[in-house]
Amino acid sequence: MRTVKIEPLTRVEGHGRVELRIKGGRLAGARIAITESPRLFEGLLLGRSLFEVPALICRVCAICSAVHRVTACRALEKALGVTIPPLAAKIRELLVLGGHIESHALHLFCLVLPDMEGTASVLDLLRKGNAVAREGLALKALGNRIQELAGGRVIHPINVEVGGVLQRPDEAGMENLLAELEGWRTRLPAVAVPFTDMDRFPDSREAVGTRVAVRGETGFSLMGDDLLLSDGRIIPADRYRELFREHPVPYSNARHSGEGKSPFLATALSRLELAGEFPEGMTLSKRNGELAGGIHANNAAQAVELFWVLSRAGTLLREILEEGERELRVPVQPGSGIGTAAVEAPRGLLIHHYGLDDLGRVAEADIVTPTALNQAAMEAQLLTDLAEVADETELVVRAERIVRAFDPCISCSVHLLRLV
Amino acid sequence: MRSDRPPRLAYVRFTSCCGCQLTFLNCERELTQIAERFEMVSFDMASSRADDGGPLDAVLVEGSISRPEELTALLALRRRAKILVAVGACALTAGVNALAGGDRARLCEEVYGETAAAKITFPPQPLSRFVRVDLEIAGCPPERGEHLKTLGALLHGGLPSSLPEYAVCMECRQRENLCLLLEGKQPCLGPVTRAGCNALCPSCGVICEGCRGMVAEAGRGEEFRLLLELGLSEREVKARMGRFTGVFDENR
Repeated sequence: MRTVKIEPLTRVEGHGRVELRIKGGRLAGARIAITESPRLFEGLLLGRSLFEVPALICRVCAICSAVHRVTACRALEKALGVTIPPLAAKIRELLVLGGHIESHALHLFCLVLPDMEGTASVLDLLRKGNAVAREGLALKALGNRIQELAGGRVIHPINVEVGGVLQRPDEAGMENLLAELEGWRTRLPAVAVPFTDMDRFPDSREAVGTRVAVRGETGFSLMGDDLLLSDGRIIPADRYRELFREHPVPYSNARHSGEGKSPFLATALSRLELAGEFPEGMTLSKRNGELAGGIHANNAAQAVELFWVLSRAGTLLREILEEGERELRVPVQPGSGIGTAAVEAPRGLLIHHYGLDDLGRVAEADIVTPTALNQAAMEAQLLTDLAEVADETELVVRAERIVRAFDPCISCSVHLLRLV
Repeated sequence: MRSDRPPRLAYVRFTSCCGCQLTFLNCERELTQIAERFEMVSFDMASSRADDGGPLDAVLVEGSISRPEELTALLALRRRAKILVAVGACALTAGVNALAGGDRARLCEEVYGETAAAKITFPPQPLSRFVRVDLEIAGCPPERGEHLKTLGALLHGGLPSSLPEYAVCMECRQRENLCLLLEGKQPCLGPVTRAGCNALCPSCGVICEGCRGMVAEAGRGEEFRLLLELGLSEREVKARMGRFTGVFDENR
C-alpha cells in the first residue's frame, strides 16, 4: 500500500490535497484533505453585535461573499422575527444571482476550460485567442457588474444589512444591465454548449450521493425554508443538524458531513435534478434517468443554470424598476432569538445559523458550506470512477478533474462550528 | 527588471478568503494583456502550471501568516523574489483574521473537537512581521486599479507610488458626499482610514468600516469620542475600530 498525493490541488478556490491510496496497483482509498488555515470565524462573531455579523461573515470567502452576506442577514432576521420589504428581497436576490453568474463563469471558463483544452490556465487560452475563454470572461464581468450594482461592491458587498438593503440600485445602471442581459440571450448558447457535451469530459459512472438542495418557494429557486432530498424527504432548514451529522476528521481542516454510508451531494447538479424539469426548456442527455457524464454533469448543470439565472435577473431588474413602493429597510431592535437560513450558493446548499442573547449579541454561530457537505461525496466519487484505473498519471489527472467538477470552494469550507 | 523577457510573477495566498486573487481575476478586460506580458510562474487558484522554483521578479502575497508551513513558504518566496507585494488587509494587518487571534488552541477545539490538537496554528500575523515588504496594496477587498497600476509599474521596472497618506474623508469631500458621521450620525471610520478607494462605501451611503487600515497619525482618540457620542457602547466602538486594524503597530 502506498499513497499518491496531489498537492497543491490547483484551479480550485482554496488550498487542498488529494490522497490516493494504491493497493496492488489499484485505487483502494481516497481522501480530500482541506489544508486551508483555520480562520475560526466563531471566535470573531461570539459576543459581537448582530449588526456586525454581515460585514464580518462575508469575509469567509470572496467568491461566495454575496451569498454569505445575504444568508447571514436572512438567518438573523428569522432570529428576530423581522420581515424585510419586498423590494429589498428582490435587490438581494439580484445580488445573489450576480454572484452565481460570476462564480459559474469563473469555474467553467477559468478553472475547467483549461482541462478541456489541454492547457494549464485560462491565461494560456487568452494568449492563444481562445474565443470561448474571452466570451466567458465577458460573462464573468457581467456577473460582477450585477453584484456591483445590487451590492455596492464586487467582492464583500456593502448594500445588504440586517433589516433590508441600504440603497436602490442606480436607475440608469439597471437599464443598461437589462439591455446587456437581452444581448446575452443569443450569446450564451455558444459559450455554454462546450460544457453540456459530455464527450468532452472523462468517463464518470454516476454522480454519487443523496442530492440535497433548498426547496424553492415557487419552482426553481435559490431560496426557501425547506430542504429537499432525492430520497423524497422534505426537511425544514432549521432541522439541518439532525440531517447533517457533521464530524471533524483528523486529516482535514473542514468537517465531514454524511449520514451513514450515503454521502450528501449539494451542487448545481443536485438543484437541477431535484427541480425535475430544467429551466428555460434546456435539455441534457440522460442515462438511466440520470444526467449523463456522472459528476462532470455538474459543469453542464452550471452552464444550464446560467440560462435560468440570466432570465431571472432580467425579470428581477424589470420588477425593481417598476416597483412603486420605495421602502428598503425596516428598523431592527436587537434582542434574543435563534434563526436558520438556507440559500443555494453557486456550488450548493449553504446554511447559516445564529443564536442571539438578549442584547442581540452572537451567542452561537454555525455555518455549513456546500464544500464541507460534499467532502464525503468527493471521496466516494473518486473511488467509484477510478477503481479500474491502473495508470498512475491518468489516475492523478482524472482525480483532479473529478474534484474540480464539484466546484469546491475550499476557502469557505473551514469555517465550521461544532454541532452539539 | 526591464528586459526583453516578460517579468516572472507569482501570486500566492496564505490565511485569507481568496478575495485579493479574485480581484486580480476580476480584471477581465485586462487579463489577456497580463497573460501576454507576464510569465505567471505560480498562481494555484488559476493555473496548474508547476512552480519551477526559480527566481521571481515579483511576488504578490495575499493573506496572513498563521501556521509554521506558511512562514516557511513566505521566507522562501522572499528569497526568490526581487519585489514582494503584500496585498489586502490580511497581509497588511492580519485583517479580520486577527479577531480570532486570542487563544487559538481553545478556538480550534471549539471548531474541530478532539482532532484540534494536530492543527498547529498561531495568531495570524501581517507579512511585515517576518519579511521586508516592498509595496502594500491595501483594502478588503483591494482595488482592481491598484493591482493594474502595480503590474504596469513592474513592467517598467519599478513600483508605483506608495499608498495615500491622507484619510478617506478627503476623497469623500472631493466627491461631495454628505458626511455620514457628522450629518448622518452614523459610526463612519472615514476620518481614521487610509484613502485610496475613492471613498467607495460612503459614496454608496454606507459607512466606512476601515478596511484599508489606519491612516498615518490617525486621530483615534477623537474618533473614539465621536462614536461614543453617537450612543454606541465603549465595547462596540472598540469592536468597530478594531475590525481591520488587527495586529496594529502603535508606532506606525
